[in-house]
Amino acid sequence: MLLSRYLNKYYRKYWYLYLIGIIALIFVDYLQLFVPEFLGQLVGIFEDAAKDGVFTDTMRTDIIKIALYTIGIGAGLMAGRMIWRFTLFNASFKVEAGLRHDMFAKAEKLSVEYFHSNKVGNIMSSFTNDIDEISEYLGFGVVMLVDGFALGLMCFVKIAILSWQFLIILLIPMVLIVVWGLLVEKFMADNWTKRQKAFDELYDFTQESLTGIRVIKAFVKQKQEIRAFSKVAHKNKDVNVRFVLISAGFDVVIEIVIGLLFAMNLGFGGYLAVTGETINFLGIDYSINGRNLVTLIGYFDTLIWPLIAMGQIVAMYSRSKASMKRIEEYMDSPEDIKNSENPTILDNVKGKIEFKNFSFKYPSRDTNTLENVNLVIQPGECIGIVGRIGRGKTTLVNALLRIYNVNNGTVFIDDVDIMNAELKSLRNAISYVPQDNFLFSDTVKRNIAFSDVDLDDEKVKFAADFACVGNDIEGFKDKYDTVTGERGVTLSGGQKQRISIARAFVKESPIMILDDSVSAVDVKTEDTILKNIRELRNGKTTLVVASRVSTVCHLDRIIVLNDGSVEAFDTPAYLLKASPTYAKMVYLQELEQEVEGR
Amino acid sequence: MAVEEIEKLKGDRKMSLREMLPRFWKYLKPEMLWIILAFVFSILNVALDVISPKFIAGVVDELEGKARIFDVLTSVSAPRYVIILAVSSLVLTLLSQGFILLETWILNKAGQKIVYSLRMEVYQHVQNMSQDQLNEMPVGSLVTRVANYTASLSELFTHILVNAIKNILTVVFVFVTMLTINVVLTLFMTIFLVVIFIISFFFRNIVRKIFTEERKTISDLNTFLNENLSGMKIIQIFNQEIRKENEFDKKNDALRRCRNKVMIAFGIYRPLLSFLYFGAIATVFLCGLEFSLSSGAVLAFYLYISKFFNPIQALADQLNGIQKAFSSSERLFNLLDVKPAVRDLPDAIELNDVKGKIEFKNVWFAYEKDMWILKDVSFTINPKETCAFVGATGAGKTTILQLIVRNYEIQKGDIFIDGINIKNIKIDSLRKTVGQMLQDVFLFTGTIRSNITLHDDSYSDEEIMKVCKYVNADSFIDKTEKGLDEEIIERGENFSQGQRQLLSFARTVLAKPKILILDEATANIDTETEVLIQESLEKIKNIGTMLVVAHRLSTIQKADQIIVLQNGEIIEKGNHQQLLKNKGYYYKLYQVQFAEK
Repeated sequence: MLLSRYLNKYYRKYWYLYLIGIIALIFVDYLQLFVPEFLGQLVGIFEDAAKDGVFTDTMRTDIIKIALYTIGIGAGLMAGRMIWRFTLFNASFKVEAGLRHDMFAKAEKLSVEYFHSNKVGNIMSSFTNDIDEISEYLGFGVVMLVDGFALGLMCFVKIAILSWQFLIILLIPMVLIVVWGLLVEKFMADNWTKRQKAFDELYDFTQESLTGIRVIKAFVKQKQEIRAFSKVAHKNKDVNVRFVLISAGFDVVIEIVIGLLFAMNLGFGGYLAVTGETINFLGIDYSINGRNLVTLIGYFDTLIWPLIAMGQIVAMYSRSKASMKRIEEYMDSPEDIKNSENPTILDNVKGKIEFKNFSFKYPSRDTNTLENVNLVIQPGECIGIVGRIGRGKTTLVNALLRIYNVNNGTVFIDDVDIMNAELKSLRNAISYVPQDNFLFSDTVKRNIAFSDVDLDDEKVKFAADFACVGNDIEGFKDKYDTVTGERGVTLSGGQKQRISIARAFVKESPIMILDDSVSAVDVKTEDTILKNIRELRNGKTTLVVASRVSTVCHLDRIIVLNDGSVEAFDTPAYLLKASPTYAKMVYLQELEQEVEGR
Repeated sequence: MAVEEIEKLKGDRKMSLREMLPRFWKYLKPEMLWIILAFVFSILNVALDVISPKFIAGVVDELEGKARIFDVLTSVSAPRYVIILAVSSLVLTLLSQGFILLETWILNKAGQKIVYSLRMEVYQHVQNMSQDQLNEMPVGSLVTRVANYTASLSELFTHILVNAIKNILTVVFVFVTMLTINVVLTLFMTIFLVVIFIISFFFRNIVRKIFTEERKTISDLNTFLNENLSGMKIIQIFNQEIRKENEFDKKNDALRRCRNKVMIAFGIYRPLLSFLYFGAIATVFLCGLEFSLSSGAVLAFYLYISKFFNPIQALADQLNGIQKAFSSSERLFNLLDVKPAVRDLPDAIELNDVKGKIEFKNVWFAYEKDMWILKDVSFTINPKETCAFVGATGAGKTTILQLIVRNYEIQKGDIFIDGINIKNIKIDSLRKTVGQMLQDVFLFTGTIRSNITLHDDSYSDEEIMKVCKYVNADSFIDKTEKGLDEEIIERGENFSQGQRQLLSFARTVLAKPKILILDEATANIDTETEVLIQESLEKIKNIGTMLVVAHRLSTIQKADQIIVLQNGEIIEKGNHQQLLKNKGYYYKLYQVQFAEK
């Protein structure tokens, strides 16, 4: 059984399904073993009839009885097989779904940092490949395990009851099969991996080479590239030929051992039955009659499957074990963004923001991105943040959302340390427009009403107009029901930005952050959006990060960041005189406007 | 691109069986002899397999003293007869296993050869497709065609069809053998066979629907997962964890229910078949008595029943397989039918002894109809000169570079190299002459060497290192553990932006171009490497005529000619000093872009 604390709770929940299934499975195995006995009895009757030369009525009724029993067993088997299929597989799907749910719930608790250092592709592969592997083991694996053990064991017992002497003589080749299976198992697994790797190599090579086909064409290296591909394809061919030959060889060896056993049974047993002799072989007396010989052959036939199942189950177990380990690693990864022990719930937020000796370093970097920031933003202020690329603008606003942990006692909202603020209430207090304007492939309406899907249409439209994207949306074929993203219409960068502004706006939070969110919007629209912000968010705090000065030059105050610290924080008019960085940005912008002919 | 071509690319065009068969034949023909040989082995194997129950029947009959089925052996004593049968059955097993081994080996080898040549054909075909054709299709689906669909085409012939025929043969052989034992009982068994046949095909239709539904549910779930894992930050910031969890649970549950449907279908089908199997056995038991068969004959029938019924079930699966393989093949053939868009003219020439003079004469170009990117652009660059293109984003700088190597065809005007219209030059020859250094350097997984030579083995290490030294890439290559053999991971992420740039310089210089085009990267590069790159560029421009979309001040300052573009038109020409003196557009641009630094 595959044990893991992430599975055990589901075993405990669905134990009854497993119990019923296993009982049904054992019952089926038990019934199955009657058939060889019937065959034996039948042959016995025929033998007797041949000896006496007459078919008596008792013989006739016996045969009819056997036939009826056989049908009865068939019915029993049908019922039993239905039951174990409906319980065991059902249970495995339930466990699978449960595990997948837990994994998704875990993903929701993982920090942005985690998603930075772990590719989504890798997490996805756990969600698909690893779960499939485990589900297969929990379903088919359990069936094979129980079936193999129960049927094998019962078969042995039956053979022993019939003739313990024959059990001994049969045992030797059987042990051979199992030993052979175990010996070759690892070798086979290695070969399988090799084959898989060769295929992956082919796949990756093709993927990359077609992605970078520009380069190949630019350098006219198609021939060389094709030759390189040919090598990989050739290797695939060879590995595959080898693999198939090896696995065919493996099967052939088993088949031959089974054939040998069979011939031994037939020859040795047949000889004893025909002659009626007792032969002493290695100190054991052997004798058998025709009826028992047939039964024995029947048992033997039944025994083949459990023997083969044993080998397969070992391989299956080790694969699912490896998958479980990967899932456990994922499930055990630390959740670094969580509530403190006694969090303060932010309620009725006024919108005061304060940074006190705030410094910040990204986990993956060596130096501080922001150094000793001290500033206070009063409730209701509209603040611009400017500075060159990589100077810490995004870091400053992200700190407020607690996407990363910050030092205790450095960042405050309404005088509450954000490290001590209850996470949900903190994030509720902030309307955020991210830089990468990620939208979901869903309708425009549901994207805007992301924070509250039940929001009425009026409010959605109002928000869209606020972000100056209402007209664009009205122009789409399905208006607000237009699906965006991969499976829908492709939106321009500017449209995406404006929809994500609307998405943030509907929250009507006391604090709003726009992280370089109008960069792909033309200047006129930008002006309108900023005007809307000033008018409709009057009295609420708004932070606007910008790479263009024009975006922020009409706001209340501007933070100028340079080399990781605050160079100045004041009104635009004052900054023009006091901050050389700001003054230069304004000058360059005027020049640029002239150059661009605006 | 024509609608028809796009349809072919996506593989949507349906093909009739008559159209496909000759195409299959093309790949099968070279291996046909082997396939026939394998087929012979497989018939032998089936035949031996069908005979084997006779030996058990023979032994059991002997116990009853019935007439011997192997009548050549009538004179042998009973114990010897039994031993002979047992030994023969062993010999039979050995032979039949031998045949299986041979058959598998031959078929698999032939199949893999087919896969190999198919893959080569498809891959080469894709390599020859033009950029805009490639843009029409996600790389992923091209890869699936090269890697998976090729395999399923070959599998159709070396696996599915062979097994299907084998199964049909088995049924026929068993049927004939049973007939020789007892005709009426065989007909009874045939009734069971027909029932199973009908159930199986009925079941196949149901299961196919459920499987389609299951695949859809899985891909739905995975799309959801992929998107939501990528957008987890937004979900967390907007406090939407619970809603998303509920949405996920719905999809998760849909999948579970779908799997349950599969389970119920199989949970009824399989047990039902096993019940029929037992019904058939009971019939044999009863009839054995009525038709006064020997116990050996009853036993033989018993053993034949499973040999009779199993192939029928397998055949249903194989029909599904054939259908799948046909649709993969259809897509493959569709792709192979796409004709490359940019092709050489029949009388296109090779470029020899290139001097490097470049001339644009009234060139007009648009990616989309009437949206002109370049408007009546004319200029001449003399051999060995360096020309820098400057202007705001979208002015058409990069487009000019693309046109020289004929990544796109111009609508009006002419482009000449050494006075020859590039339309009359073989594309390969043109691209060999022009060394391209693109903005985002694409590095392949492999080694430093394979990335510089692009899998061209004709260069010696000395040559490569010489070039690396020339472009200043030697300093960081020497610092790596394995030098030229140092591994490069996906997209070259283990090297810095600047280092990747230097590697792309080496790649270009090694190819000994006469003309160079360079699209300078705008990304920030650390100061140390920046110095190396500038030095390197100084040297590279001596190789031949160089056209640069420039972002570095030093590159522009040192250029022989600067062409200033605005909205697709040339508005100023001259060198740095001249243009500065003019106090025109360039002067302002210079201040915006460089004065800050």
